[in-house]
Amino acid sequence: MVQLAESKEPRPRVPEKGWEPRIVALVCNWCTYAGADMAGTARRTYAPNVRIIRLLCTGRLDPLFVVKAFQQGADGVLASGCHPGDCHYVQGNLLARRRFTVFSTLMDFLGLDRRRLQFAWVSASEGVKWARVVDEMTQAVREAGPLATWAAPAATAPSPPLLDPGAEPRQAPSREESGRITAQLQETAANLLAEGKVSVVAGYASGSLPGQMVPAFVTAPEEASRLAWNERCANNLTVYLPELLRKKGTGKVGLVVKSCDARALLGLMRESQLDRADVVLLGVPCTGVWDGGRLALKCYGCSEEVSPLADLTITPEGARQGPLASARERVAVSDPRDAEIAALESLPPEARWDYWQRQFARCLRCYACKAVCPLCYCATCIAEKHRPQWIPAAFDGAGNTAWNIARAMHLAGRCVGCDECARVCPADIRLDLLNRRLALEIESRFGYRADADPSAPPPLTTFRPDDPDEFA
Amino acid sequence: MARLGVFVCHCGENIARRVDAKTVAEVARRLPGVAFSEDYPYFCSAPGQKKIRAAIQDQGLTGIVVAACSPHLHEPTFRGASSQAGLNPFLCEMANIREQCAWVHTDGASATEKACDIVATMVEKVKRGHPLRAIEVPVTKGALVIGGGVAGIRAALDIANAGYAVTLVERQPTLGGNMARLSETFPTLDCSQCILTPLMVEVSRHPNVELLTYAEVEDVGGYVGNFKVRIRKKPRYVREDLCTGCDDCVPVCPTTVPNEFDLNLSWRKAIYLPFPQAVPAVYTLDPASCVNANLESESGGYRVLACERCSLACGPDAIDFDMREEIVEREVGAIIVASGYELMRAEQATEYGYGSYPDVLDGLEFERLLSASGPTLGEVRRPSDGKVPKDVVFIQCVGSRDPKSGVPYCSRICCMYTAKHALLFKHKVPDGNAYVFYMDIRAAGKGYEEFVTRVMEEEHALYVRGRVSRVVQDDGKLRVFGMDTLSGRPVEVEADLVVLATAIVPCGNGELARKLRTPTDAYGFFQEAHPKLRPAETLTAGVFLAGSAQAPKDIPDTVSQASAAACKALEMLSRPALAREPTVARVDEATCTGCFDCERVCPYLAIERKEIRDRGGNLVRTVAQVNEAMCEGCGSCTAACRVRSMDVLGFDDEQVFAQLAALTPALTAAGAGTRG
Repeated sequence: MVQLAESKEPRPRVPEKGWEPRIVALVCNWCTYAGADMAGTARRTYAPNVRIIRLLCTGRLDPLFVVKAFQQGADGVLASGCHPGDCHYVQGNLLARRRFTVFSTLMDFLGLDRRRLQFAWVSASEGVKWARVVDEMTQAVREAGPLATWAAPAATAPSPPLLDPGAEPRQAPSREESGRITAQLQETAANLLAEGKVSVVAGYASGSLPGQMVPAFVTAPEEASRLAWNERCANNLTVYLPELLRKKGTGKVGLVVKSCDARALLGLMRESQLDRADVVLLGVPCTGVWDGGRLALKCYGCSEEVSPLADLTITPEGARQGPLASARERVAVSDPRDAEIAALESLPPEARWDYWQRQFARCLRCYACKAVCPLCYCATCIAEKHRPQWIPAAFDGAGNTAWNIARAMHLAGRCVGCDECARVCPADIRLDLLNRRLALEIESRFGYRADADPSAPPPLTTFRPDDPDEFA
Repeated sequence: MARLGVFVCHCGENIARRVDAKTVAEVARRLPGVAFSEDYPYFCSAPGQKKIRAAIQDQGLTGIVVAACSPHLHEPTFRGASSQAGLNPFLCEMANIREQCAWVHTDGASATEKACDIVATMVEKVKRGHPLRAIEVPVTKGALVIGGGVAGIRAALDIANAGYAVTLVERQPTLGGNMARLSETFPTLDCSQCILTPLMVEVSRHPNVELLTYAEVEDVGGYVGNFKVRIRKKPRYVREDLCTGCDDCVPVCPTTVPNEFDLNLSWRKAIYLPFPQAVPAVYTLDPASCVNANLESESGGYRVLACERCSLACGPDAIDFDMREEIVEREVGAIIVASGYELMRAEQATEYGYGSYPDVLDGLEFERLLSASGPTLGEVRRPSDGKVPKDVVFIQCVGSRDPKSGVPYCSRICCMYTAKHALLFKHKVPDGNAYVFYMDIRAAGKGYEEFVTRVMEEEHALYVRGRVSRVVQDDGKLRVFGMDTLSGRPVEVEADLVVLATAIVPCGNGELARKLRTPTDAYGFFQEAHPKLRPAETLTAGVFLAGSAQAPKDIPDTVSQASAAACKALEMLSRPALAREPTVARVDEATCTGCFDCERVCPYLAIERKEIRDRGGNLVRTVAQVNEAMCEGCGSCTAACRVRSMDVLGFDDEQVFAQLAALTPALTAAGAGTRG
């Protein structure tokens, strides 16, 4: 079972004398703001705890506004706009609805008391409803108490032991098997380079530590003998694609890919970061990645031996056109990450909040997660934006919470679950669970997977009129 | 250095009763960047505005906050005062301490504290404001009217009479729309074509109107003031400039097909004129029914001519089998949508037997029977055997007011036209009986109630309040099973003819709305910008609405709305340039990653792609660019932008950040990006 370090300092639950909830409301100009005006014109009184920030449309609302509000001491945040279908700008609130749904899921998973984050649709004629929504929220936040733990003090409790994922469903390939693939890979790479079909092959080679495999970039046929393939080739090489493509000259880029790696290519295509025709995917048969002698969690539930996107498959007999799985029976069991997510969700919200705050407290802001992620390709990351500085630079509770929330939201609907971020995190933060939780939510709510056809619009850039909506 | 002014209004007693304005002004004065503050009973008054202007000038203020009522009320007032004093109007913001504070809270202390907080947030916003200038968009001095029914004709005439060029596009071969099909119009019983055809002729002759009939809008590019429209002119195979309308081609044509103008109740030839008063009075050869095969080669026009009889019979030699489809382009500043309505398919009301029983008709079909130019030359005859019906049942609300049929709304005109049908039937068949089954009678227009009363009391149409459950054909008669709810008894009528007042639905399948990038409502009608205050505009700048394309309506309302839409178009066309709000989005090209999520979310298609090339002409990157003429400033692009290259002027990230930061007792300096 997931074990939590015992909380040393009791959090204040009884409000201090005279404490009043501070609630920030982010509202749209055309409906809710006008509705609040109407409440005024009708002299409908309500609690004075709300401070309104006016935006033109809820579509403008970034989750970082909510994060900032909590950081600044708000005990509750309310977002409200036009009813779906009535947006002054046609569809801003329909996009916002999806964003709110995903953000709510994230904050719920992090253990935020749901009473503190509410969404409502209040039209320009619903002054009465506005007064009621404000009163109800004020009362709910009053019961929840002051939010004293937004940026919990740094804790040094060790990370809880991994939930036992169960017996590994597969065995690593034998040395001979890996050796045969290695030989074919070296020959294929050398041929591709010699024929000028590619100007570089990105693959794996032995690193400086025993057994370590690291990324390798081969530009001449005679160097191809450096390349190797085995069960320790963990890196997702698609992260190097944008730079390789910039430097490649006239040839294409050859990339050795596992199934999980190649999926990121679809996101890069969808976001206009590369042209598929410039990339030659060399699919290798993968039974899993063993990191530190243990099968990676992502591999338990994987049923794709070779990436379905492969242009060439490296088989023991040689390179073959297209994706070509071997005849070997493939055992896939339930994903252990899902069991961990379920375990976390079975905890009460305060315990969950405690768990994540202790995780975030260890964050060094080294940004290794950003460096390995193929979808974190922005030349200037939002973490580096200082005017305004949405994500405080200091690696304290506030900064780390903001960073991890921002990254999870930025990857929502885009993360392909390669778990590289979790693998490289020096603080062992369970980023894989955060990303997977949102990916599962998006799949179940909106029917979208990040490995969908690149022409499918990203889930947060589109909407359906009947999208789920449990808001006030 | 910021030198801001804060003006706290008492609004007489409205604010001052609850909020201590003096305290708010004092607290504001101590905020960083505030150089001046004062309170006053009525800042919106002339002396109040004078005080503001004086303070701006005397104190050298770089921005102001007026703490008073809602910006929805007086933002233009105070922005105007700022302009007059030489301060950019976008450096004036209002803090709403009346509608959202003094009027809704009962405790003075908390209301005053809240007012101070609100003022603090607006001070922070103005500090980071920019002196924005209205965006000037040049306007092409011309309009496009889509639809040549009475709505389109009226709108086109109004704009043309004002001196501007109009292109009027109609997809049928003739103008007139549904009104040309009517026999008489309620309540005046004017002959419909008699009052419509003069307008049709006037618009076709007007020097400022370019009439494109038998043409459809192919696509619409550009934006308000600068639309580029491509129009597909379908080939008539008859030269408009040569045809004299002599009708010699029709008798010799070997092919007969159902006549759509008569709603398939009569026949026409493959070459035809829809009705005698058609405008333009030019015949049309319908390629789908013409004997000649292979009509559409790659270049259009006929290949093999199996029959040339019409051409041989044509004196002026106007028939041209080589005519082909033509795409023409027009540039206009404004577009008016007048695409009209059609009737719901009556087969949906399966209980009434439309489509199975030939003597069950819908409203427009019955209208054609009544019309002197119709299939029966104005005599009411049963389609099945041509006999004159003695007992006619009119069923109202077929499909309308019925959520199950997908039309929960009232179609508005059916009560009136049913009354008219009953009256006209009784005039033509004096010994006949007219039965009208109704739920309610909606006769709200001028003279409407009197008309219905006349039909009931003088023409003796029998009005039965109740619905009809079934119509069953039985031995040449139609048995109508209905209910009279006023007496509580079932009613059965043996009718010779049944007329269904079917629901009004919008024309088309939404394709035109998609081409215009303007929304439709849940039923497919074009969505108005505001149902009360802006019924003739859409949310798409430059696109206006007239007639039943927006919602079912009668002819007087259609004509009124058409003139309203023309007026809106003329508002734009009569100015040298269009001034648009400068609160638009803007891209920081240096950081844009070119993912184009912004392009995906923009409802106005205001995001374009810009290529950045090096000196050798090689493509370095493609980044997003905002078309300021189309952008409405909603900010969806900004929220979609992960790297935060996109921002919205007037509600930008720095401003929102600063407003949020101001909501704590101690303003944090770190990360607040103060500009002093």
